[in-house]
Amino acid sequence: METEVKETQGKIFSAENPGITAPTDWQPVIMGILCNWCSYAGSDLTGTSRIQYPPNIRIIRVPCSSRVDPWFIIKSLQTTADGVLISGCHPGDCHYISGNYYARRRFLVTKKLLNFIGYHENRIQFSWVSAAEGPKFAKVVAKVTEDIKKLGPLHRYKKENF
Amino acid sequence: MDYSKKIQEIASKLFADNKINYFVGYKQNSFDDSQVPFLITDPAEIPKLVFTDRSVFNLANYLKPDHTKRKRVGLVVKGCDSRALNLMLTESQVKRENIYIIGICCEGVLNEKGEKAQNCVECVMPDPVVYDEMIGSPTGKREYTINADIRELATKALEERADYFESIFENCIRCNACRHSCPLCYCAKCCIDQETSTLYHGANTSSGAMHALMTWSLHLAGRCVDCRNCEKACPSHLPLHLLHKQNESVIYENFQQHLAGMEKDDRGAFYKYSLSDPDDFIL
Ligand code: SF4
Ligand code: SF4
Ligand code: SF4
Ligand code: SF4
Repeated sequence: METEVKETQGKIFSAENPGITAPTDWQPVIMGILCNWCSYAGSDLTGTSRIQYPPNIRIIRVPCSSRVDPWFIIKSLQTTADGVLISGCHPGDCHYISGNYYARRRFLVTKKLLNFIGYHENRIQFSWVSAAEGPKFAKVVAKVTEDIKKLGPLHRYKKENF
Repeated sequence: MDYSKKIQEIASKLFADNKINYFVGYKQNSFDDSQVPFLITDPAEIPKLVFTDRSVFNLANYLKPDHTKRKRVGLVVKGCDSRALNLMLTESQVKRENIYIIGICCEGVLNEKGEKAQNCVECVMPDPVVYDEMIGSPTGKREYTINADIRELATKALEERADYFESIFENCIRCNACRHSCPLCYCAKCCIDQETSTLYHGANTSSGAMHALMTWSLHLAGRCVDCRNCEKACPSHLPLHLLHKQNESVIYENFQQHLAGMEKDDRGAFYKYSLSDPDDFIL
């Protein structure tokens, strides 16, 4: 299932569609969907603690990770994003008691289905980040950005002329 | 499997007792041996009702737009259709007291080639799970098997799968027949049509179809009962079951062997959770 991304002659190849290339100074766009109570506060702490993390992530705040309809992920991947990171509270810490347990089920099925139709599994990532885990948030964003840089730009199923 | 006579008897009795305002069944097509859904309000039309192994459609779909609020309806359901109806009842889309269900213990229906349809070969529950009257003798629940096409596709490489699905999505004309023919897709305003026109979302492109079909299949994940009404309605003959069966197999394997609509008050896999659900894919 792993695909290798080749980098030759100043061009990056896209993992799912090796025929299409991009210049090597290409930077990925990552859609970050964070829950208000843990991960968003965690990302805030990363900023206030002056911890550096890659600027590729574009953050959207939602009330809870279970607010994330799989549609959000699909729409992001169809339009501008090269990858999606969704983050919520650790199991047991949900502000609404069980929202993240419901979300967890949906995330697994969404990830498997998108992988099934041809998205690399690293393009859709999930994490649990609490409000106190500023350094963890920076690490997660760095890892996801690194993964998606390795995969190259997303061209498959992209809407043209957006 | 020819229950036409029995269904006609029951329907005339229901009309005579004034138990129903209309009846939904199947009628023979005039030009070949296939059948079409048939809605009767006049008892004089009862002799046209049939039920054989060509009665492929899911009639629960005809209860969808609030029909049972003021009218009482009699309808015929097979095993898979009754599971969909079960979910519609739990989700308060249908009033139980306003419907009269004739449940058929199903022996499988035929596809357009005249063979037993794939979903019937893999059927887990041919008996009706909710009914007022049962026709035939129940054979009980069967073992779940992962769909043959899914097993085959899972062995292919990522790029190959991507090419395959892109070629499928390219043929979608965004007519939305799949959505309208599914009994469990009943939202008054569907999010696929929201914000801007369908055209804007890239009608007739693989991208637009990916957006719509992925959203649609994930809204049905954990609820789809594999009746394949959607696939039969699709004018481009897309293998839509691939998406639903993939979700179903992931849900079956990971969430306590959940199958949609099998029990009363089951609301689908995404309406419950377990503390031990897999979480190793989360950072
Ligand atoms: S899936 Fe099962 S219940 Fe439905 S038509 Fe086929 S055999 Fe009958
Ligand atoms: S695709 Fe989703 S939003 Fe649209 S009708 Fe179906 S369930 Fe509702
Ligand atoms: S998605 Fe298709 S197979 Fe599933 S319940 Fe709806 S019509 Fe039936
Ligand atoms: S019925 Fe077929 S062609 Fe029409 S929107 Fe659905 S998948 Fe596309």
